[in-house]
Amino acid sequence: MKVNAAPMNQNLWTKGFTTGVTIIALGILVVIYRFIFGLGAVTNLSDGVPWGLWIAFDVVTGIALAAGGFTTAALVYVFNKGEYSPLVRPALLTALLGYGIAGFSIILDVGRWWQIYNPIWSWQGSSPLFEVSICVMSYLTVLFLEFVPIMAEKFDQNPDSLLAKIIVKIAPVVNRFLIALIILGIVISTLHQSSLGSVMMIAVARIHPLWHSAWMPLLFLISAIAIGFPVLVIESYYSAKAFGRKFEQGILSQLLKLTPWILGLYVVVRFADIIVTGELNLLVADIWGIVFVVEMCLIAIIPTVLLLNKKYRESDSGILTISWMMILGLVMNRFNTYLITYQPRPGWDYFPSLGEIIVSAMLVSLLFVGYKLLANYFPVLSKE
Amino acid sequence: MAVDRRSFLKFGAATVGVSLLGFNETNAEANDEFADNYAMLNDSTLCIGCRGCQSACKEAHELPHTGHDKRYEMPTDLNAQNLTLIQLQRKSEDEYTFIRRSCLHCNVPSCVSVCPVAAFTKRADGVVAYDKDKCIGCRYCQVACPFDAPTFEYNSATPVVVKCDFCKDLRLKNNETPVCASICPRKAIKFGTRKELLREAHKRIKDNPGRYNTHVYGETEIGGTSVMFLAPAGFTFEELGYRKWGETPPGQMQEEIQHGIFKYWIPPVALYGALGLAAYTLGKKNSNKSDDSGEVKNES
Repeated sequence: MKVNAAPMNQNLWTKGFTTGVTIIALGILVVIYRFIFGLGAVTNLSDGVPWGLWIAFDVVTGIALAAGGFTTAALVYVFNKGEYSPLVRPALLTALLGYGIAGFSIILDVGRWWQIYNPIWSWQGSSPLFEVSICVMSYLTVLFLEFVPIMAEKFDQNPDSLLAKIIVKIAPVVNRFLIALIILGIVISTLHQSSLGSVMMIAVARIHPLWHSAWMPLLFLISAIAIGFPVLVIESYYSAKAFGRKFEQGILSQLLKLTPWILGLYVVVRFADIIVTGELNLLVADIWGIVFVVEMCLIAIIPTVLLLNKKYRESDSGILTISWMMILGLVMNRFNTYLITYQPRPGWDYFPSLGEIIVSAMLVSLLFVGYKLLANYFPVLSKE
Repeated sequence: MAVDRRSFLKFGAATVGVSLLGFNETNAEANDEFADNYAMLNDSTLCIGCRGCQSACKEAHELPHTGHDKRYEMPTDLNAQNLTLIQLQRKSEDEYTFIRRSCLHCNVPSCVSVCPVAAFTKRADGVVAYDKDKCIGCRYCQVACPFDAPTFEYNSATPVVVKCDFCKDLRLKNNETPVCASICPRKAIKFGTRKELLREAHKRIKDNPGRYNTHVYGETEIGGTSVMFLAPAGFTFEELGYRKWGETPPGQMQEEIQHGIFKYWIPPVALYGALGLAAYTLGKKNSNKSDDSGEVKNES
């Protein structure tokens, strides 16, 4: 499993990068305002709708989309599919940035952020959110450690700062326990990806029954596993574009052969759930039935059909379209569960404020800018 | 009302009063761990909507009066400055009643179940207490509460969750009745133990045929609550803004799954073992085939 990666060492300040940095600067102003004047000053959150865009998109959707890190690691290190090893580092970087950003948005969203570390010592085992917070903290640590050998490769040549010296020093230890660490990362991921589904189970009176289910933990886990590879496709495409490299469609098409199986399982479980609970009639009851069908088509049904067809699976535009479609479906699913079908307290309403949208845009920009910065400096992308 | 009001302020007096009525403790009560919890019974047929409880609560908790020129104006929902609220519920021109909103101090509280840092606790005396030093301000309690009770200071840089505290530090500590119950001129809010007040509620329904909705809200809902309600006949509790709930606490399924996943840590450890075994055997198989794979190293 030889990894042949190199830093890109290119000029950073392209038009896209500059735009990203500008949005981040704008977002920082909103963030400062939020910390001085409170959540109400920049968000439309209220007692009626306590969780808004930041939770639904930045945290819940973000963590699902970052699942590519653990699925790729599982494929290469556990199931020993060495041919996919060039994808491990880009997937790891995406996960590291994704979780880092999700962690940062949790700090922005919680009111008493200076006590954010409290779950470490004040435990409530019955709370899925307790599990999520512990898992996000520990998985971020694991991801950082997995990134240590990559940084060490860079610093090996010239460890001039204290940080570089520490990284180089601990890298051999990390390398020794790398596989144990990677498996730990996989276990933590399965735990919190499913727990994000458990979180909304208690809100049985608030969420539309087509989305509320006793099987939410399982459904959230399967959809997160399924979305991992499509996110890799998108990431590979745009990083190839950004660095002026060739888009490695072949290896990704190969990877996407697995996706219809996972999606098939998802469709079966999801429909079995609404049949068992006798909610099938809700599909034709009102607009939410249509929304449910559209969501299922985008996240699973159409992608499965297209991916089984070689013509679409083995073309650039084919896998790009399918990947975007699945991502859109997943975003719809998480938004419907956490926000759109959420019944506010009587008399309340919610639509994200400009401030909330700017901060979310900032976090997306942070992902792209951070990726470019780190892939440019550290050996993440494989040599062509 | 010739009853001496001051005597009703004393929790002890109420206990004596009820026991003089000569009820015997039933088996169900003897087995009920919540029977002796502090409780309140709200009787909508007695409430005249004077909102004395609302003002007294505000004053006791030193919460700011909001509105033009600091005049007291009616809030439309519970908020961080109003821990309790009287709402007018009108069905038609002549058919209306008043209903109180506040934390119901559930027997099995959802907020306690979901709070990731255990900032909420169900005390032995029945009070659901909040600790701001633990709270991280995630507002999961607001999402989970079956009765829309917890509120949050959205306009503060150092916000806290705000809800009825049962006057635990202001009154209960000194064996005094919570302010809302003590101030009510119509005795529409009665303070006592859960056991006494349930008896009292059923007695009122029995003694006044046709006056009440025969259900006592909070007796069984989600496993019972400490704050309970009587409604006038002709009104359902849903019409008064209280959802229909079964007897099972809504957090139960979630808790069972959480505890199932972490049962003696078996599932995560088993998953770790299985993945480790897979990695070992599959890696070995492959390294027999070729030499450059199977070795887990980040070589460049």
